[in-house]
Amino acid sequence: MSTSTRDKVMQHLNIVGHLQPALHEETHAPAPDQIDNAHYRAYTRMAHDVGGEPDVPIRWEEKEEEVWEHNTFVTCECLAWRGVWNAEERRRRQNVDVGQTQYLGLPYYGRWLLTAARILVDKQYVTVSELSNKMDEVKKRYE
Amino acid sequence: MSKPHYDREHHVKKATGIGDPQCFKGEAGPAKFKVGDRVRVKDLPDIFYNRCQVYTRGATATVVELVYESPPAEDEAWDNCENPEWFYSLVFKQKDLWPDYSDTFANDTLETELSERWLEPA
Amino acid sequence: MSDQHEELHQPAAMVDEVSEFEVLELAVRELCIEKGLFSADDHRRWTEYMHTLGPAPAAHLVAKAWLDPEFKKTAVTDGVKASLDVGIDWVNSMPTNFGTPSDYCNLRVLEDTPTLKHVVVCTLCSCYPRPILGQSPEWYRTPNYRRRIVRWPRQVLAEFGLQLSADIEVRVEDSNQKSRFIVMPVRPEGTEGWTEDQLAEIVTRDCLIGVAVPQVGKTENDKRPVRPAVNPYKH
Repeated sequence: MSTSTRDKVMQHLNIVGHLQPALHEETHAPAPDQIDNAHYRAYTRMAHDVGGEPDVPIRWEEKEEEVWEHNTFVTCECLAWRGVWNAEERRRRQNVDVGQTQYLGLPYYGRWLLTAARILVDKQYVTVSELSNKMDEVKKRYE
Repeated sequence: MSKPHYDREHHVKKATGIGDPQCFKGEAGPAKFKVGDRVRVKDLPDIFYNRCQVYTRGATATVVELVYESPPAEDEAWDNCENPEWFYSLVFKQKDLWPDYSDTFANDTLETELSERWLEPA
Repeated sequence: MSDQHEELHQPAAMVDEVSEFEVLELAVRELCIEKGLFSADDHRRWTEYMHTLGPAPAAHLVAKAWLDPEFKKTAVTDGVKASLDVGIDWVNSMPTNFGTPSDYCNLRVLEDTPTLKHVVVCTLCSCYPRPILGQSPEWYRTPNYRRRIVRWPRQVLAEFGLQLSADIEVRVEDSNQKSRFIVMPVRPEGTEGWTEDQLAEIVTRDCLIGVAVPQVGKTENDKRPVRPAVNPYKH
């Protein structure tokens, strides 16, 4: 049974209502006098730099690879092979530029994928209109 | 405004048949540090991107190897490859990184690689 | 765990509709090919190259080094050169002829001794020596492993079943730039007279990352739960 667009909108609002910035504060977007240098450093921290953060033990798992994960990795390597980006630019975009929420909220290759889409648009190889139309067309193939 | 032009060939021309970081060999000039030197990691500003873990900042380490020359990650992340630096492999005592690290395991160490800009003599 | 938490993390819709990831992946790949950024043949060739990868060459590199002291010297001083003897050319084995973009060409082999045990992590991005070791395991990519192993290595290693006494120095290698690393563990007792193939069988992927040590009779990684894929890739 497919979910209606309005149902999806409501579900989305329910989820994003639970997203939090890195530190819970009384007000978001503080005035300059409410943020000291330590907090500035916390908010502008690079999302990839997690070494030494406290965390609890988890169950160590192996994982089967999704088809899209494999294809995403290959696409990203082909983009570097053909000079669209280098690996450091890819790492910067997918591990830092994405921001803390997407960094922690998406699967590992989900970040690779969004970043591959983003480089095409940022470097003007593809317009957002073309990307959006293509996604819409791909979706229709599955209906 | 016209679209920007990106040089998509420069890396492939430089690295084909040679490899990366081998293709930057000889471009960093004389190395400032040698194996055995004691160095401290600088706490440079964290602006936009770098690959110097915050947990190493201000800690002292021993240079154990000069590993290669390469543009530093901070530049290469925007495809700026003009100023290669020496990269050093550094060994830290875990006790120097983590104040709560157990005395029982005082011999434990951590090794990582940083480019020259991040280091000063200790 | 509350029901609400369950709901947030268990999007059941994934099963009966195409995922946003699948849509975006196909859209990006098709646009790249249509715009001439790379060709469908490039993508196919890289996929074929991926099919050749796995931990066997790294295991053989270690086994060879155990048997040949001269080769061991080469391995620890020039991992790229030593890799040639197990069929891996870090520059030319892949379609680019300049190495793989993401893994560069600077393998370092970390030699364990009876008083030194290495374990590898990449706290910044989970980088991994794919050309000689294949794709990284999921646990290696988790922020959890990356957060904790650098600061509480003995606790994390114990969770992997590796208890190390205080007279052994644990050295965590935080792989953060262009070098890639494999661990060369100590050759275990009871392997005297073994061939390279026999030795390579006990040098598992986990031994090469450093979260396990080779044992006679143990030719596989520890059994762990395997998270199934919705649409699994068949290797």
